[in-house]
Amino acid sequence: MSDEVVLQATDVVKTFSSRGKKIGTRVVSRAVNGVSLEVRRGETLGIVGESGCGKSTLARCLVQLSPVTSGTVAFEGTTLTGLSRRRLRPYRRKFQLVFQDPYASLNPRRTVGDIVAEPMRINHLGSSSEIDARVRELFSTVGLDSAAINRYPHEFSGGQRQRIGIARSLSLNPTLVIADEPVSALDVSIQAQVLNLMADLQQEFNLTYVFIAHDLGVVRHVSDRVGVMYLGEFVEFGDVGSLYETPLHPYTEALLSVVPELNDTDAPRRERIIITGDVPDPADRPSGCPFHPRCPVATDLCRVEKPELVTIVPGRQVACHYPRNLDAVKAANSLT
Amino acid sequence: MPEAPLLQVRDLTVSFATRQGPLRAVDGLSFDVGQKEIVGIVGESGSGKSVAIYSMLGLVREKNVTITGSVLFEGREILGIGDKELQPIRGGSIGMIFQDPMTALTPVYTVGWQLVEQIRQHLHLPKAAARQRAIELLGQVGIPDPKSRVDRYPHEFSGGMRQRVVIAMALSCNPRLLIADEPTTALDVTTQAQILDLMLKLQDTFDSSIVIITHDMGVIAEMAHRVVVMYAGRPVEIAPELELVRRPRHPYTWGLLDAVPRLDAKHERLRTIRGNAVSPLNLPPGCAFAPRCDYVMDQCAQRPPLHGSLDHVDACWLSGEQRVTIRSAVEEHS
Repeated sequence: MSDEVVLQATDVVKTFSSRGKKIGTRVVSRAVNGVSLEVRRGETLGIVGESGCGKSTLARCLVQLSPVTSGTVAFEGTTLTGLSRRRLRPYRRKFQLVFQDPYASLNPRRTVGDIVAEPMRINHLGSSSEIDARVRELFSTVGLDSAAINRYPHEFSGGQRQRIGIARSLSLNPTLVIADEPVSALDVSIQAQVLNLMADLQQEFNLTYVFIAHDLGVVRHVSDRVGVMYLGEFVEFGDVGSLYETPLHPYTEALLSVVPELNDTDAPRRERIIITGDVPDPADRPSGCPFHPRCPVATDLCRVEKPELVTIVPGRQVACHYPRNLDAVKAANSLT
Repeated sequence: MPEAPLLQVRDLTVSFATRQGPLRAVDGLSFDVGQKEIVGIVGESGSGKSVAIYSMLGLVREKNVTITGSVLFEGREILGIGDKELQPIRGGSIGMIFQDPMTALTPVYTVGWQLVEQIRQHLHLPKAAARQRAIELLGQVGIPDPKSRVDRYPHEFSGGMRQRVVIAMALSCNPRLLIADEPTTALDVTTQAQILDLMLKLQDTFDSSIVIITHDMGVIAEMAHRVVVMYAGRPVEIAPELELVRRPRHPYTWGLLDAVPRLDAKHERLRTIRGNAVSPLNLPPGCAFAPRCDYVMDQCAQRPPLHGSLDHVDACWLSGEQRVTIRSAVEEHS
C-alpha cells in the first residue's frame, strides 16, 4: 500500500426526492449526506453498515453510475463529477464494479464467455481472436475451466457465477474494483473461496479495492481501513485492527458486540449492547447526531449539535461527542 | 428417569421422484428435541434442513414425494396423518417462524386481523377476547404502542417489527415447540440481536422448545443447546453446542467453522472447503462429503454410519487418532 490517493470523494451528497404523503408535496431523502473519503493505491477500504445506510448509493456515486447531488469525486487527480458521458468513458475502464447478486448481474441469455468479453469489445481492445484468448486467460485466472466459456449463467453455481462477475470486472485491467456485497449471497464455504480469490487477484494485479459489506467479520478479514456508515454518513473511520479492538463510536461498539460469535475459546466475550429501535427514515433525519435516538449514551448536546468527524489519533476518526475507549486508543497510539 | 423428548425424529427420509431418478433431499435424519431444549440444525443451501422440517408438518405436498420414517410429537406419530389431525398441531402446539417476515404475513389484512384469525382457529375465543390477546401478544414481543399498532398493515412495520409480529403469531396459542426457519437471515445484525434476545426471553417465559434452522454458525453458538450438522440431506454430526464448536469431529464441520471470518483475529487466508456443494441427484455411493474432503480414504466409498459417544455422534471413517493429528496440525499451521 502506498500513500498515493487513487480515489478521492469530497463532501458527496446524494438525495432522492419522492412524492410526499399529501398530494403535491415532495419529500427529500438524503441517502448519502456529506461523505468524504480517500482510497489509497493497493489498499482495501472496507465500508460497513446496515441496510439502508447508503453504502450502495455511495458506491454508485463513486463510479459515476448515479450523478452526485453535490460534492466531487476525483480519480487519480481528475475530477469526474460533472464530466460528460463521452469525456467520462476513458476513465470508466479503470474502475469496475462487482455486484452482490450473481444471479441478477449476469445476462441469462448470453454465454458467460460473451459476458466477460463484452467490456473488451465495447472498448475495441483487440481482434476477436485476441479477445477470445484473453477471455480464456481470465477464466483460468479466476479458477474456472476455460472450456466453459460457451455455457450460460444458469449452468453455474452461485460461487462460480461470482467468479465470472469478477473475471468481467478484471477484463479491462482496472486500477480500482468496487465490490458491493460480493459474497453475501454465497454459502460460507464458497464465500471463503471467493474472498481468497479476491485477495490473490489484488496481489497479482496490484488492485485497489473498495469493499462494501454488512458482515463485520468479512470486512475485518479483507480490509486495511474501515469506514462505518450510519444514515448516509461515516460515523467512524480507522485502521482495521485498532477499530475492531477499540471502537470509538457507540454505534460501532454496539455493532461489534452483537455479532454472533463462536465461543470456541475461554476468552470472555464482549458484553452485548443491544440497541433498541430501527434506523430512522433518511427523509426524516433526527436533529443533532443521526444516531442519538438509539444511542445508549446520548445527552442533550447530542440532540442539538451534530458532531463532526474529527481525528482522535492518526488513523482514527470519529463523529461523536462522547467517544468510547478514548484512553485505550490514545495509549495504543503513544506506544507506536 | 429423564423426561421423554418432546419431538423424536427417526430415520426421516424425503425423496422426490424426478426424471433424472430419485432425489433424496433428506436421507436418514434422526434427532430428539427435549423439553425446553433449543436444537439447531445447520447446513448450507440445499442441505435439506428446511425440507426436513416442512415434511414433518405435512407441508411438503408435491405429488412426487415419498416421506418415510417416524416423527413422534408428544409421544404421538404425526408423520403421514391427515390435514384434519395436523391442523390443531400446526400453529397450535407447534408454532412456526419463517425466514422472510414480509411473505409470512398477508399484505391485505391488518396484523391484528391475522393474529385474531389464528387465535380463534385454535383457541375458540370470542372475537373481543381474541383481539385482547392479540394486543397482549404484540406487547410481549416488544412492539411499542400495541393498541394502535394492532390495526396497522404489515407494510407499515419495519423488517424487525414484522418479524416480531410473526413471532407473536407463532406464540399466540402457547406452543410446546417453536420451529424457526432462518428467523434472522433477512435482518440486520442489530435487529438480529434484538430478535434472538427476544426468542430466548420468550422461550424462558413460555417454557417451550425451539428448533432453529440456520446456515450461520454464529447464530447456532448464540442460541442452541444441541446442534445437528447436515450435508447433502444427511446428518454428519450431532453434538452439544459447546462440544461441537470446541471439539468438532467431522471434516465438514471443521470446514464450516474454519471458513467463518473472525472478528477477534485476522488470518491471512481463510481455510476453505474445496469444490461446490454436490447435487443430491448424483451423490457419490459412499460418504456424500468425500469429493470435497481433504482427508478422503478408500473406506469413504462406503457410507459411514453415525457413531460415537452417548451425545456426540458423527458420520466419518477417520479414527480418533487421525482426527487429533489432523486438527493439531491445522491449529499449528494457523
